[in-house]
Amino acid sequence: MAPGGKDAMGDCSDLDRQIEQLRRCEVIKEAEVKALCAKAREILVEESNVQRVDSPVTVCGDIHGQFYDLKELFKVGGDVPDTNYLFMGDFVDRGFYSVETFLLLLALKAGFDELESEDIEDVLASHTEELTNEDLQQLTEHSSVEDEDDEEPPQRKLTTKRMAEAFNMIQHIWKVRYPDRITLIRGNHESRQITQVYGFYDECLRKYGSITVWRYCTEIFDYLSLSAIIDGKIFCVHGGLSPSIQTLDQIRTIDRKQEVPHDGPMCDLLWSDPEDTQGWGVSPRGAGYLFGSDVVAQFNDTNGIDMICRAHQLVMEGYKWHFNNTVLTVWSAPNYCYR
Amino acid sequence: MASSETSTDDSLYPIAVLIDELRNEDVQLRLNSIKKLSTIALALGVERTRSELIPFLTDTIYDEDEVLLALAEQLGTFTPLVGGPEYPPLESLATVEETVVRDKAVDSLRRICEEHNTEDLETHFVPLVKRLAVGDWFTSRTSACGLFSVCYTRLSVATKAELRSHFRSLCQDDTPMVRRAAAGKLGEFAKVVEVEYLKTDLIPMFVALAQDEQDSVRLLAVEACVSMAGLLQQEDTEMLVMPTLRQAAEDKSWRVRYMVADRFIDLQKAVGPEITKTDLVPAFQSLLKDVEAEVRAAAAGKVKDFCQNELVTDGNQHVKSALAGVIMGLSPILGKDNTVNHLLPLFLSQLKDECPEVRLNIISNLDCVNEVIGIQQLSQSLLPAIVELAEDTKWRVRLAIIEYMPLLAGQLGVDFFNQSLSKLCMTWLVDHVYAIREAATNNLRKLVEKFGADWASQNVLPKINAMSRDGNYLHRMTCLACINVVGEVCGKDVTTKTLLPTVLAMANDNVPNVRFNVAKTLQIIGPHIEKESLHSQVKAVLDRLNDDPDTDVKYFASEALTDSRPSGSTSLVLRSVLSCSVPETARDARFPAGRPRRGTASGGQRMPSSETPLIDKH
Repeated sequence: MAPGGKDAMGDCSDLDRQIEQLRRCEVIKEAEVKALCAKAREILVEESNVQRVDSPVTVCGDIHGQFYDLKELFKVGGDVPDTNYLFMGDFVDRGFYSVETFLLLLALKAGFDELESEDIEDVLASHTEELTNEDLQQLTEHSSVEDEDDEEPPQRKLTTKRMAEAFNMIQHIWKVRYPDRITLIRGNHESRQITQVYGFYDECLRKYGSITVWRYCTEIFDYLSLSAIIDGKIFCVHGGLSPSIQTLDQIRTIDRKQEVPHDGPMCDLLWSDPEDTQGWGVSPRGAGYLFGSDVVAQFNDTNGIDMICRAHQLVMEGYKWHFNNTVLTVWSAPNYCYR
Repeated sequence: MASSETSTDDSLYPIAVLIDELRNEDVQLRLNSIKKLSTIALALGVERTRSELIPFLTDTIYDEDEVLLALAEQLGTFTPLVGGPEYPPLESLATVEETVVRDKAVDSLRRICEEHNTEDLETHFVPLVKRLAVGDWFTSRTSACGLFSVCYTRLSVATKAELRSHFRSLCQDDTPMVRRAAAGKLGEFAKVVEVEYLKTDLIPMFVALAQDEQDSVRLLAVEACVSMAGLLQQEDTEMLVMPTLRQAAEDKSWRVRYMVADRFIDLQKAVGPEITKTDLVPAFQSLLKDVEAEVRAAAAGKVKDFCQNELVTDGNQHVKSALAGVIMGLSPILGKDNTVNHLLPLFLSQLKDECPEVRLNIISNLDCVNEVIGIQQLSQSLLPAIVELAEDTKWRVRLAIIEYMPLLAGQLGVDFFNQSLSKLCMTWLVDHVYAIREAATNNLRKLVEKFGADWASQNVLPKINAMSRDGNYLHRMTCLACINVVGEVCGKDVTTKTLLPTVLAMANDNVPNVRFNVAKTLQIIGPHIEKESLHSQVKAVLDRLNDDPDTDVKYFASEALTDSRPSGSTSLVLRSVLSCSVPETARDARFPAGRPRRGTASGGQRMPSSETPLIDKH
């Protein structure tokens, strides 16, 4: 099959192949996750707490480890980089494929240039057998396979060739990187505490046999931006507003590189919900607040924005308007918990 | 078997050991010994087997299930060894709790039964059956159910009556397990009972079981149905069995309905063509539409057999058409005229079915019908429905339709296609689902390949050009995707004169995604553009895009200019034309250290265009 759109994009955006690799969960070895996270950190650390995004962009809500639904989402919405996406957090927990989901999104966002030599050693060790130090040195120094000495025994050559193939494959997969085409912000599930209860921790442990990957990922969670603003007019955040925040500048001053706190402005942004009341209410979730239409009107007015776009709550039709179209809830995990 | 082989060379010592091991504490040793039981019995002789071994075995009934299972099996071959009917161990074994042991004991009893004459049966076997049938535990009553049919035929009239009455009480037993066993054996019992008693005694039992509160009992009654219907005259079947069968096909439990579907072919054979026509066909139809997937699947699996059986015996049009609604595969069996007359209306109604899967199935199997009746006939009758489906709310249905388009186009010819389908094909290009736009683009390529460049120029290109000004950036990109695929087919002249200006104009789009797709498109259609335009216009635009503030636009522009991809004919041509004008140094500056890697924006904010070399810092 040669669908025009896909072929036209060339090999740099071969999302399908990448998904295939991710799905088989063979290629994302620990070392690759490490390198990917290192690259992602470099990119994310530069992002603002209120990340600027230009329209047009497709805004998505909770995914919750539903990898196949994410795949479907790309089918309907279009592939990265041709379509721009903003994901409003809660990539992990509850679904069966949190690892694949988060790493795919992270790979689209960040990719990575190359593995450190020690990482290559790890990766190749898991892809091939009978590694010699010489082989490793060769590969880490990027010397070409074809330049090999002719006198080498054929067996040895085969091994080296296989390793080189594996190495090229890995490099190719992570070549994709579209930091400007895809924006990821933090949800309340992107937290060490929550993931230990709702599945991501267990999934990492089950798939990797150790919590190293979970640790890499949760470190990256701390670097995810807290919110985004589209064309200066649409404020996007996972949960909602906070009584301690009146202006976007106040969000910009938060030091976000930490575990989601139990209370305070950063916690509220990720936990709050809109409610058909006035003013502020106590949230039944035990974190964040309920905020009413007057709070939204005030906030939008103060900051010159048209609407607030958020996720965090299940809405059966995928999206739901509140408060006379000033707040929009978006949900992107169909059949969530078999509902 | 074991007895005849081992009888000659067995000395007495091993026998003593075996007997000893019957008492051993080790289960495995006891088991081994039990399996040699016939050898032991042979060595002991008939007399001692009866007086010593059997009583001993009767005592061991409280052993492990595994041992009992082996014992139950061995005892089935024991008649010659004991010289007459002695069942105590088997009778007890038939009452134990473990089902497999019980079943084996019943099997052995059934085998023994056949070896006995009428007198033995009356004096030994029948009392045993009666004892089991009225036993305190459901286990013994369950076992009894299996023993009626084997002895019934050889008994006196009086005993037969007794047995029937016992069977009746088993059918009405309080314990569902017993009723289930009775229902399971009803069929085989029916086969040996005289027809008059079948009608007066067994049918009422069958009717009662078929209305049992337990669905596991009811579904076994369906089994019995097959045997009963086979035994009765047609009118009797109609009167006595069919009401129950009809009920079962609509039972509230899907397991019962599943059973009906699963046994459908047998039922069909049993009831004969007349009842099949009047009763089974409607029942079968409703099973195929059952709410439970399992039932539908079981029924669907029988369609071919059902209809083949039916067509052999009956040419009834109603039967044919009823089945036709379900599978398109019937069309080749029936031939053209019948397909047109009887199947098409059904296809049409199925195409409008509420369930998208039904519509999808019909559409994706259109080709088997196509082979039989030809595309002209097919399209004339089905076209309105296809057009309707092209706007189906389920995108997978739309996708299935699109995939059928090139075939339709090829067979319909240009004129007919222009009249009826070309508008649809263009509408799909602006579908709100990406997968549909992608498939529509691909479809477009095939259409242009089929109908040629002139057709494309007249019918497609104006619409593609119009799309380049669509308000939605995703549709503007679909326009580029279309150009990617039709460029090659349209030839240099059309591509340069008609498509290229559109692409170049889009380089000024305010959405970066469109701009970098312009770069990609230029790279792809490069080989199909006249050289002069390539030099003058394309390079200028790519150069400008290469200075774009957006990282990705820059990247794809530089890709198009330098073409670092090693393979692919398109890139080679572009490079050969452009290489003279692209300074190698510029390329090296962008990707130093021989790493043709993508530059990364170091932050979310847009990079000012002056900071050209976007190199990662590590």
